[in-house]
Amino acid sequence: MPTATSTTATATNTSTTATSGILHRLFSTDQDVKLKALRQLKNQIIGNRTKKLSFLKLGAVPSVAAILAEAVLADDGDRNNSFNKNVIVQSAAVLGSFACGFDAGVQAVLAAGAFPDLLRLLSNLDEKVVDAGARSVKMIYQSKLAPKYDFLQEKNMEFLLSLLNSESETVSGLGASIITHSCKTSVEQKILFDAGVLKKLSSLLEGSLSQKDSSLESLATIFKDNPEVVLKFVGSESGRALSSIIELVKDKFARTRLLASLCLIVIRNTSPCYLQDIAVKTKLVNTLLELLGDPGQVGDEASFALSSLIVQKEDMQKLAFENNAIDKLYCHLQKDSLNPRRFEGILLALADMCSKLECCRSRFLSSQVLNSVVDAVAHDSADVRSAACICFKSVARSIQNLSAGSFLTEAVVIPLVRVLDDPSTSVQVAALGVISNIVVDFTARRSIFIKCGGVKQLVQLSKSMDAAIRLNALWALRNLMFQAESKCKEGVFMELTASLLASLICDPEPFVQEQALALVRNLVDGCISSVEYVFAEDGIILDAVGRQLQSALKAEIGIQGMYVLSNVATGEEFHKEAVLNQLIPHAETGSQAYIIKFLQSNDSRLRTAAVWTVVNLTNSLSPGAVDRLEILRGAGIVSQINNMQNDPCLDVKLRVKTALGQFKTLDTCLSHTFLWRLPLAGYITLLSFFFAIKAV
Amino acid sequence: MPVRVAESSAPSQVPEAANPGQTSPQACTLLSVGQAFSGTQNVSSLQKEEAWRVNVRIQGCDLEHGYLCGTMEALNVPMADTPVVTFWEGEIVDTKNYTFFTDKWEATSEEDIKHWTKFPSFSPLLNQVEVDGGKSLDLSNYPHIFMRWKEQYFVNVGTDCGLTIAGFYYVCFSCSDGSINGYYYDPNSSPFQKLELKSTNEGRSGFSSSSYELQ
Repeated sequence: MPTATSTTATATNTSTTATSGILHRLFSTDQDVKLKALRQLKNQIIGNRTKKLSFLKLGAVPSVAAILAEAVLADDGDRNNSFNKNVIVQSAAVLGSFACGFDAGVQAVLAAGAFPDLLRLLSNLDEKVVDAGARSVKMIYQSKLAPKYDFLQEKNMEFLLSLLNSESETVSGLGASIITHSCKTSVEQKILFDAGVLKKLSSLLEGSLSQKDSSLESLATIFKDNPEVVLKFVGSESGRALSSIIELVKDKFARTRLLASLCLIVIRNTSPCYLQDIAVKTKLVNTLLELLGDPGQVGDEASFALSSLIVQKEDMQKLAFENNAIDKLYCHLQKDSLNPRRFEGILLALADMCSKLECCRSRFLSSQVLNSVVDAVAHDSADVRSAACICFKSVARSIQNLSAGSFLTEAVVIPLVRVLDDPSTSVQVAALGVISNIVVDFTARRSIFIKCGGVKQLVQLSKSMDAAIRLNALWALRNLMFQAESKCKEGVFMELTASLLASLICDPEPFVQEQALALVRNLVDGCISSVEYVFAEDGIILDAVGRQLQSALKAEIGIQGMYVLSNVATGEEFHKEAVLNQLIPHAETGSQAYIIKFLQSNDSRLRTAAVWTVVNLTNSLSPGAVDRLEILRGAGIVSQINNMQNDPCLDVKLRVKTALGQFKTLDTCLSHTFLWRLPLAGYITLLSFFFAIKAV
Repeated sequence: MPVRVAESSAPSQVPEAANPGQTSPQACTLLSVGQAFSGTQNVSSLQKEEAWRVNVRIQGCDLEHGYLCGTMEALNVPMADTPVVTFWEGEIVDTKNYTFFTDKWEATSEEDIKHWTKFPSFSPLLNQVEVDGGKSLDLSNYPHIFMRWKEQYFVNVGTDCGLTIAGFYYVCFSCSDGSINGYYYDPNSSPFQKLELKSTNEGRSGFSSSSYELQ
C-alpha cells in the first residue's frame, strides 16, 4: 500500500540519517560531542547484530579505533585527566561490543589495528580503563579469529599469570579466556601446568560466576587428551580441585553446570580410570538430560555434551538408557520449532545412544521417533539432514529388525534415495551409511529399494570423484548383494557392468578396493551359476582381482580378494583352473606366489581365507584336483601349509587339517594312478632300483 | 524350530582357567553370517517316531557380545501347509557374556547340566561347570562352541498355527566340520528332542561365503 511504503521509507531514511549523524559526530573537534557520540554508538549496537552490521559497513570501527589510539597516546598516566579516560573507556567498550559474538566485528577491530591498543589498556593505572580493556579483549578472545597467544614466550607467560592473579574478575576471566582460545598442543598444556596455571584456575572455581565459568572452560582445554596433566591435577591436594568441579555440576546456574559437566567429561575421556564412581556418572547423565530443557544456548549444547560422554562407551550408554535418556531425548525432539543446532544435537545424541546396545534401539523403535527422524532427512538444514541419517544408521544396526525387514518400506526408502542427490557431500555420505545398513535384507524386500531407483543411484555414486562417496556407494552395493536372489544380482551387475567393477577393484583408494572386492565376493556366492560373473568380458574382473592381490596394501584387501577366488574355486573344473592360474605366477617371472605371503601373514583372517582357497582347489571329488595339487606343490604352497599344522589360530589350524587330509587322499590317488599308468620299462627300472637299495 | 503345542568327539585337553574378559571364541568361518545348515529334528513321542527336516541360516554374529542369530525352517511339519520359518537368537557360552547356566527360560542348573552332558565334547568341562557354570574356563581355543538358541518369532505364519516356540535349544557346534547338535528344552514338550545339522555347500564343490558389514 502506498501509505505503508512511504512510512517505511521515511523510517529508513531517518534511521540512516541518525546512523551517519553519530558517525559524523565522532569526528567532532568538540570532545563532549565526541564522547556523547561514542556512548550513543555503544548503546545502539549492544546486542543488535543488524545495527552492528550497518555501522560496520559505514566504517565505524576504524574511526573508533583511531579515537582510541589517539586517546591512548594522549594518556599521560594522570589519574585526574578523567575526560581522556572516559574517551578511552567508551571507545574500548564500542570496539568490544562490535566484537561480541560477531566475527565480522572481530575481523574489523583486528584489521583496524586496535588490538595492541586494547592490550595496552590492561597495564593502565586506572581500574576503569583496565576493566574496559579487559572486557574488549575478552570479547575478541571468544572468537576463533583472535590472534593466537604464544605461551612459549616467557614474558607472555608472566603477563598471563599477572592477568590470572588480578583482583579484577574481568581481568582474571580474560586470562582464562586466552587459555581457552590459544592452548592447543600438549606442549602448551604442559607449560601452562608447569607455570602453576592450574592452581590459579582451581582457585578461581571458588570465585564469581564468570570466574567459575571461565576457569572451567580453561581447565577443560588444558586437560584435553593430556593424561599426564590430568593425573597431576587429580592427584594434587588430594583431589580437592576435582571435588570442586564435581560440586559445580550441581551449581544453581545452568551454564556453570554444563561447563562443569564438560570439564569432567574431558577428564574422563582423557583418563578413563577417573570418575568411575557410579554416583558421579549418574549425576553427569542426569544433569545433561535436565539441561536439554534449557531454552537457550546451554540447552542447545547439552545434547552435544551428552554425546561426548557416551560416544563409544557401552557402559555410559547403558547408564543413560537406565535413566530414560531415549525417552527424554525423544520428548525434546517432538517440540515445535527446534533450532537447527538443537535438532542436530538431539539426533546425534540419539545416534550415540543407539550405536551399540540393542535395548536402546528397541526402545527407540518402540516409540514413534523413527518417523520424526525420517522426516528430518528432508530438513532445510544440511547439518540436521546429516544428523538424521547418522541417527537412522545407528538404529539400523539392529540385526533383529533387519531380519524382520522393518526398515525396507517405501516410506523410509523414498526419502533416503532422494537425499542421495543432496548438494552436501556429508549428507550424501551419511545417507549412504543408512542405506548400507538397511539393504542387509533377509526378507526379499530388496525389490522396494530397486524399484525406488536405489541401485541406479548407487551405481552412479560409485563413479563419483569423491573417494568417500565411492567407498560408501560400494559398501551399500556390497551389503545389497549379501545373499541376494539371482534376479537381483543380475539387475545390479547389468547396471554396474564388468568393466566398471574391474576399475573399482583397481581404485586408487585401498578402502574402495576392499569394498569392491567384497561386493564381487557376494556376487559370486550363492547360486553356482553366479560364478560366471567374474568371467564376463574375457574375465576382466578375475584379472583385476588377481592384479590387486599381487599388490594388496592392506590385509582386508587380501581377505576379500582371496574369498573371491575361494568362492570361484567352488565352481566347475574350468573355474578352479582359472583360479589356479591367478594364484601361480608364470614361470618366466620367477616371482613367489602371493598366496605364500598371505599364508604367512600375521592376520589370521587372511591366513584362513588363503587356506580355504587351497581347500577348494584340492577338493578330492574334483577330477582335476590331483594335477592342481602337483602345481600347488611345485609353487611351494603345499609345504607352506604343512608348516601350519600348529597355527595359533584354531580356525586356520582346522582348515589346514582339512587341506592336509585332502592332500593325503589325492596323493593316494596319484600313487595308484602312477602305478597303473607306468609302462613296463618303468616297472623294471623301479624294481631294479628297489633291489639295488636292498643289496646296499 | 517350532514343536507341537501340548506335546508334552572328545577334546584332548581341558581348557585352562580364563583371564576374565579375554574369553571370546575365535571367529570360526563355518559359523559366519550367511552359512547354511540342514538336517533333522527328532520330534518322536511315545506314540510315534517322527523327524522334521530342518534348515538353518546364520544371519547375524557379534562375538564381542556373545550373540548369534538366524532363521530355522522346518520343512515337513504335519499341521502346516508351508515350511515354517522362525527367527532365533543365540547366546554363545563364552564365559564372559554367558556361562553354561541359563538362569532363565525355566531352566535350572541341574537341567542345564543334564542337557550339556549329552554332548561328548562337554565332558572335560563338566567338573568346572558344576562349580561355577564354567565362568573360570577359557573356551577361546576350544574346538566346539556351546550355545543356546531361542526362537523369538514366527517369520511366515501366525502365532495361531498350532505350534509353539516356548522352549530353547542347547547347541554344540563343531568348529572342525561345522556340524551342529542340539537338544530342545521345554518343560511342556517331549524331552531331549535332538537336532542334528550339517554344514551345507549348496551345490558347490567346496566352501563358499559372503559377508556384510554394518556401518
